[in-house]
Amino acid sequence: MGQIEWAMWANEQALASGLILITGGIVATAGRFTQWYFGAYSIAAGVLICLLEYPRGKRKKGSTMERCGQKYLTTVVKLFGPLTRNYYVRAVLHFLLSVPAGFLLATILGTVCLVIASVIYLLAAIRGEQWTPIEPKPKERPQVGGTIKQPPTNPPPRPPVEARKKPSVDEEEAASAGGPQVNPIPVTDEVV
Amino acid sequence: MAVSWRSWLANEGVKHLCLLIWLSLNVLLFWKTFLLYNQGPEYYYIHQMLGISISGNCYPVQLYSQRRARPYEMRPFTFSGFKTVCATAMDGDNTVMGEDFLYNFFLFFCNSYLVGLCLSRASASVLNLNCSLILLPMCRTLLAYLRGSQKVPSRRTRRLLDKSKTLHITCGITICVFSGVHVAAHLMNALNFSVNYSENFLELNAARYQNEDPRKLLFTTVPGLTGVCMVVVLFLMVTASTYAIRVSNYDIFWYTHNLFFVFYMLLLLHVSGGLLKYQTNLDTHPPGCISLNQTQDQDIYSPEDFSEHFHGPLPEGFSKPEARNQKTLVKICLEEPKFQAHFPQTWIWISGPLCLYCAERLYRCIRSNKPVTIISVINHPSDVMELRMVKENFKARPGQYIILHCPSVSALENHPFTLTMCPTETKATFGVHFKVVGDWTERFRDLLLPPSSQDSEILPFIQSRNYPKLYIDGPFGSPFEESLNYEVSLCVAGGIGVTPFASILNTLLDDWKPYKLRRLYFIWVCRDIRSFQWFADLLCMLHNKFWQENRPDYVNIQLYLSQTDGIQKIIGEKYHTLNSRLIIGRPRWKLLFDEIAKCNRGKTVGVFCCGPSSISKTLHNLSNQSNSYGTKFEYNKESFS
Repeated sequence: MGQIEWAMWANEQALASGLILITGGIVATAGRFTQWYFGAYSIAAGVLICLLEYPRGKRKKGSTMERCGQKYLTTVVKLFGPLTRNYYVRAVLHFLLSVPAGFLLATILGTVCLVIASVIYLLAAIRGEQWTPIEPKPKERPQVGGTIKQPPTNPPPRPPVEARKKPSVDEEEAASAGGPQVNPIPVTDEVV
Repeated sequence: MAVSWRSWLANEGVKHLCLLIWLSLNVLLFWKTFLLYNQGPEYYYIHQMLGISISGNCYPVQLYSQRRARPYEMRPFTFSGFKTVCATAMDGDNTVMGEDFLYNFFLFFCNSYLVGLCLSRASASVLNLNCSLILLPMCRTLLAYLRGSQKVPSRRTRRLLDKSKTLHITCGITICVFSGVHVAAHLMNALNFSVNYSENFLELNAARYQNEDPRKLLFTTVPGLTGVCMVVVLFLMVTASTYAIRVSNYDIFWYTHNLFFVFYMLLLLHVSGGLLKYQTNLDTHPPGCISLNQTQDQDIYSPEDFSEHFHGPLPEGFSKPEARNQKTLVKICLEEPKFQAHFPQTWIWISGPLCLYCAERLYRCIRSNKPVTIISVINHPSDVMELRMVKENFKARPGQYIILHCPSVSALENHPFTLTMCPTETKATFGVHFKVVGDWTERFRDLLLPPSSQDSEILPFIQSRNYPKLYIDGPFGSPFEESLNYEVSLCVAGGIGVTPFASILNTLLDDWKPYKLRRLYFIWVCRDIRSFQWFADLLCMLHNKFWQENRPDYVNIQLYLSQTDGIQKIIGEKYHTLNSRLIIGRPRWKLLFDEIAKCNRGKTVGVFCCGPSSISKTLHNLSNQSNSYGTKFEYNKESFS
C-alpha cells in the first residue's frame, strides 16, 4: 500500500460528485420545490467543482493519462498557484461547498459523495501530495548535423573513405561469421 | 480494403448477438414491471393513496406553487384550477381542447406519482438482473473448466468466454445508471408518501404522520438507510474502477472492489423492508367496489363519489354516475382490503450467483493453501526472472495463468503471471517468467536472489537456499489455449507478452501430434535484442526437433527488433537459426497477412496477440478484411484492463 497516490482517486470522486450535484440541482430547480434556491446553488457549486477537478494532476512516477482537452483548463487552474496546488485547501473547499447542498432532499447524495472526496483529499494532503500540472512536452527539433561529433583529426590530404573504413568492415565480418548454416540432417538431392 | 461481412460476422457476430440478447432482456424486464405497477389491480389503493387524496384533489409534485406554509407541503390542484391554467396558457381560448381531453390530461398530470412508483420498481427489476449477472464472469475457475472440458464443444461458444470481462463492465455500468434512476424515483416516492399521508391508508404509507420530513424517512427506515449506504459503496467502487486508476494505482481498484460483498449484504437487507404492499384479496374486494355500509371514511372506495369531490362542474361528455351504473357491473365489497408486502424477489435473483461465487472463492482458497516448492531461480537479461516450481496435483494447460501470492513480500497483494512451462506426464515442473516492473516484483526478486549476485549470470552455489513461501492460485484460462485447436495459428508477441506462447512452444516440444495444430507462425517483436535470449534456447531446440522429424515448415519464426541504433546486432553466436530470422524494423502486417492467406488457402487461421494495444488493433482490423484466397482469420483476444 506504500505507493498509492490518493489524490488521483479523490480527483475522480470529486468530479463524479460535481456531476451528481448538478443533476440533483437541476431536478430541484426544475421541479420548483421549496427552497429551490438550494438547487440553484448546487448547480453552481457542481459546475465550479467540475471545472476545478477536470485537469488531472501529474503522477509522481510514470506517465499520466490526460483527460480530453484538459490543457485549456490546466492553464486556468495553474494561475491560482498555491490555492489549487495544495490539497488541504481543496479538502476544506469541498467540505464547505458540500454543506449547503445537504439541506435539500434532491442534492443530499451529492453532499455525501463530496464529503467522501474531501476526506480522501485530506488524506492525500497529509501524505504530502501536490497538484502539478501536466505540461506539454516541448517538441524536439530534429538536430541537424547531430551525428557530426568531432572534426576530422587528420589534416589534409586525407586518404579516401575506403582506405579509412577497411579495418571496421573486416571486424564486422569476423564477428558475424560463426560459420555457415549447418543443416542438422544432411541434405542431398535425389536425382533418379 | 473493404471489411468482409463474412469475416466480420465470424469475428464479431456472436459477441454482438449476446449483447442484443442481454439488452432485450433488460428492456423486457423494465417494460413488464412498469406496466404491472401502472395497471395492476392489486396496486389500485396505492395509486389512490399516492396520487389522489381524500378530498379528490391531486398533488402532482412537479407543479409550481407559490404559497408554502411548511416545507414539502403542496397546494392542492383541482380540475377547475387546471382548466384556468390551460386557459391562460392559450390566451383564453379554451375551445381548442375539449373538456374530455382536458380531463384526461388532468388525470395524466395527477398521475405523476406513477413516475415515482413505477419507475422505481422497473429499475429495481433491471437491477436485480444485472446484480445477478455481474457475478458470473468472475467465477474464473468455472470458466477455466468450461474452456477446457468437452462440455462446450463449439469453438464459437468458447470464444464467447473471452468476453467475460466486457460483460462484467457492461453490467456494472448498467447498475450505476439504473441505481441513479431508482434513487431519484424513490426520493419522489418519499416526498409523495409524506405529502399524501391520510388516515385511510395507514398500512400502505411508509410515513408516520402528515408531512413527515422525507429525509427522516430516508434515514430511519431500513430500506432507506441501506439504500444510502449502498449508494456510498457503489460510488466508492465506481470511482476507483476507471481506466486511469486501474492503470496507475491498481491497489485502490482492488481493495475498493472487494467492498462488493458489503454491497450484496446491504442489498439483501434493503429488500427485506417490505414497504411496498399489494392487495391480496382481489376476489373478495375488487378495486372500485361499493361498500354496503357507506360511511364518511369509506367514500373513497367508490369511484362515483370520487367525481363528486371535484370542485367545479363535471365536464360534459364524461359519463354521469347513473349512466355508469347501467353500463358497468357494480361489485359489492365482501370484506375490507387486505395488504401484504411482497416477497423479496431479489433474494431469488442473487442467491444463486452469490452462492456460486462464494463456493468458488472457498474452493480457490482451499486449493491454494499448500505452498509450492521452488526448484530454481534463473536471472535473464532485461530484468526478467524465471521461476521453476513443483506442486502436487497441479495440472495446467498451455496458455493458462496463475496468481502468485507471497506473504513475505506483501500480505495482501497477489499478481497474475502466465505459465511459460506447464507440467506434463513425465515432468511435474512448471514455471513462470516475470519482468521486474513495480515494487512487488522488485521485492520478490530481492527475496529470491540476494542482490549481490543479481548482476552476474552465473549464480553462486549457496548451501542452504532459503526461498520465501509462495502460494499459487489457479490455473485460470485464457484465449491463448485455443491456438492448439486451429489448424494454422498466427501468434504475435510483443516483448514480455511472449510468455503465453512460450508455454505453447514448450508443449509442442514435448509432443505435437495430439493437437490439431499443423502450422504455427510465431512473430516476436522486441525493443532490446537481449530480450530474445529469454527463449532463444527453446526456439532453437524446437527448430531442431522439427528438422529431425522432417517437418521444417511446422513453425515459422520471425523475430523483429523494432528499435535500433544502427549498429549491427546479433542475438548470440550460437543461435544461428535465430540470427538468420532476425529482421530489423517493425513488421509489415498487411504483407504478412497476405503471405499467410496465400500459403493457407481456404483455411481458418487463428490470430493471437499478446502485446501493445496498437498492434492488437491493427491485427483485429486486418482479421476482419477479406482476401482473394478464401482464407478466414479469426481474432482471439481477451480484454484486460
